[in-house]
Amino acid sequence: MRDLLSALFTLLIFPGFGFLFVCALVFQWIDRQVTARLQGRIGPPWFQPLADFVKLMAKEDVLPVNAHERACAALPMVSLAAVLTTVLVIPIGRHAPNAFEGDLIVALFLLSLPALAYFLAGWLSVSVFSVVGGSRALLQYFAYEVPFLMALGGPAILCGSWSISRIAVQQSQTVWMMFVQPVGFLLAFVGLIGKLKRSPFDIPKAKSEIGAGPLTEFSGRKLALWHLSLDMKTVVGIFLLVNVFLGGSFTELAVPTALIFGVKALLTLLAFSVVGVLYARLRIDQLVSLGWRVLAPLALVQTLVVIWIGVQ
Amino acid sequence: MTRVTIPIGPQHPALKEPLSFLLTVEGERVMESALRIGYVHRGLEHIFQNRSYVQNVHVVERICGICSHIHTTAYCQGVEALLELEVPPRALYLRTLLCELERIHSHLLWLGVLAEHIGFTTIFMYAWRDREIVLDIMEELSGGRVAHAVNVIGGVRIDLDQEHIHSILARLDELERQVETFLGVIQHERTLQARTRGVGHLSAEQVRRYCVVGPVARASGVDVDMRRDAPYAAYAWLDFQVITAEEGDVWARTMVRVLESIESLHICRQLLNELPVGSLTVRASRRVPPGEAVSRCEAPRGELVYYIRSDGSDRPARVKVRTPTLTTLITLPDQLRGVNTADVPTVLSGVDLCIACADR
Amino acid sequence: MDINAVVAALRQTCPDRGIESRAVPIADTFVALPPDCVHAAVALLVEHFDVYHLSTITGQDTGGEIELLYHFWDGDGLTLRTSLPRESPHIATLTDLIPGAAFYEREVGEMLHVTFDGHPDPRALLLPDDWDGEAPLINEQ
Repeated sequence: MRDLLSALFTLLIFPGFGFLFVCALVFQWIDRQVTARLQGRIGPPWFQPLADFVKLMAKEDVLPVNAHERACAALPMVSLAAVLTTVLVIPIGRHAPNAFEGDLIVALFLLSLPALAYFLAGWLSVSVFSVVGGSRALLQYFAYEVPFLMALGGPAILCGSWSISRIAVQQSQTVWMMFVQPVGFLLAFVGLIGKLKRSPFDIPKAKSEIGAGPLTEFSGRKLALWHLSLDMKTVVGIFLLVNVFLGGSFTELAVPTALIFGVKALLTLLAFSVVGVLYARLRIDQLVSLGWRVLAPLALVQTLVVIWIGVQ
Repeated sequence: MTRVTIPIGPQHPALKEPLSFLLTVEGERVMESALRIGYVHRGLEHIFQNRSYVQNVHVVERICGICSHIHTTAYCQGVEALLELEVPPRALYLRTLLCELERIHSHLLWLGVLAEHIGFTTIFMYAWRDREIVLDIMEELSGGRVAHAVNVIGGVRIDLDQEHIHSILARLDELERQVETFLGVIQHERTLQARTRGVGHLSAEQVRRYCVVGPVARASGVDVDMRRDAPYAAYAWLDFQVITAEEGDVWARTMVRVLESIESLHICRQLLNELPVGSLTVRASRRVPPGEAVSRCEAPRGELVYYIRSDGSDRPARVKVRTPTLTTLITLPDQLRGVNTADVPTVLSGVDLCIACADR
Repeated sequence: MDINAVVAALRQTCPDRGIESRAVPIADTFVALPPDCVHAAVALLVEHFDVYHLSTITGQDTGGEIELLYHFWDGDGLTLRTSLPRESPHIATLTDLIPGAAFYEREVGEMLHVTFDGHPDPRALLLPDDWDGEAPLINEQ
């Protein structure tokens, strides 16, 4: 009975749905505030992300006649489920609820499911804008995913473990992976921008070109859940980066782990917001070119260097 | 690869006004495009014939929201020529001041729209924030941010005192600093250049064949500017440069417009510092003796032509308006051929369309 | 452009027809030509004098006839004037010489029901698809 309650607590409250929901809204608000201030605006009030979510949940839900209705209803759930499951293997604080050897691979696999669901959403909702957006999302996925995976493999190889928790602990005993593999960190950072479809890689959502891309035909509850899953993915992605490259919650300083972890996560979010403000949006062919001609080779070099160091 | 037809418009996030493009796309390249305009055609040329000359000043102002003043300038100039009026110099200077302020506000608006379309929201926010400086000045002068109603047949209805002039000059200095920042961004920022260089190219030959005017023509190396070639209002007394570029792409058009804004700021300073004393209007009779006039002005988008024929009554027999956007619309199918789909909004923004002007 | 030289050369395109010219306010010079001489006159302007900028084409109903004005600009303003009969007015297109004339001819065509022979795409430009067919700028008799 206690196990059941404890499991329910983990899944629904912390670090499950409840915690992620709150984090998603808070992170979205901070992102919007920072972006606004850098652009000379005031930014939304603190309750804006919550208000947007509630409003969308209450709106009418329509799909085109030819769209596959049940699949379109299931896809945002799939995306949400994948993200929520990922957080179970990521240590927030000292322990992850379900750490095991190889959980990094599982986390990376789960985090790529939303991208697939996103593409399918565009494909299955049939309108011209959605289909074009979906194919762009897929192209973008291939451009950043390979460098991202390779970059995240670096710390695993160096720490000798494919468990996120072990990698985080290792950093507290040696040094942050960010300093050992700065190129890898940069690649993971840039890859995460692409994964989260943030500016300057928000190509599939490019409003001025193709409506809202794959999600053009979604509305109401489905759209609310899509946005929520993307916001939660932002949170989980940042947590992953903090654990793998920035030493997680472990530190020699005598401060609560939650505070340290929070500070690192927020600084990473800040970096994302600033980068988002600084550049124009790249075209899909420019991004693909960047991905394969610059990012992937760099990731390859970084991985070889890591293997060489590991062998020494 | 299969060909897909993508509709751009009449309602589309990339368009500020209704316009219809049917793009035939293969993969990521545009193969053909079909253009349809007329969604905001209001039949104004017919309306002009049923209103008096004075009433028409107000109708003409509402052809376009962004370049309203230049329309009234062109119209009033034409009617004043038919009446053989000599407009006082002070009025001409004030008329020109509004023309140049309008040019700056139009170019800043356009810069923001282009930035938004290439995903550079930051520049969009900054440009429109700085545009408020100009809009505030125009509101102080005339009472309206976009529809100024400054021109009357025979002169202008606004005036300035020294204190106001100093205040405006200070703000124009501030604006110039901001616009210089934009110039720096356009010249050096790499993602912006990646999105605008080589996109939407028009050669000088195409410009001549299609009779293109304005910054689009000047960006392809064709040196035309009605302010210098057919000096109207106070331009004969002013010292300014016409900006041209050679590349003929969206980046060149951006450079031309931003440099033109800076040049307009210099012109505004000359106008304010050398404002002659005198009256503001000269009496104009309601009935216009029979005649014809062709009035040409340089709107922010290029050469604006008004043909007015009078028949001795208090209503014009014919007012024909040719706005600069029509000359650039005709080049769009050429510009869009072979272009990457992602660049379509960039190309459409690059020519600075004002559909309300084109449709009338 | 040397306006006098141009006007003199235009007179040569239709030597035995009456061609009058006069200057009007805001510097344009108007040259009146018969309709079948217009194409040759424009060919002369484009090929010999390098005057290629057609500002616009105005069409108007002057009561008796349909009048077309071709406004050119090359440092000076030059307008070619021609009159067409009310019943089935038609004239040769200029798009083979000046592609930029396409939209202007389409607009005159739909507003005054003038046919431009040889125009590659004579669809309506501004009027809606379900327009009932009357020419908007023809004054009712």
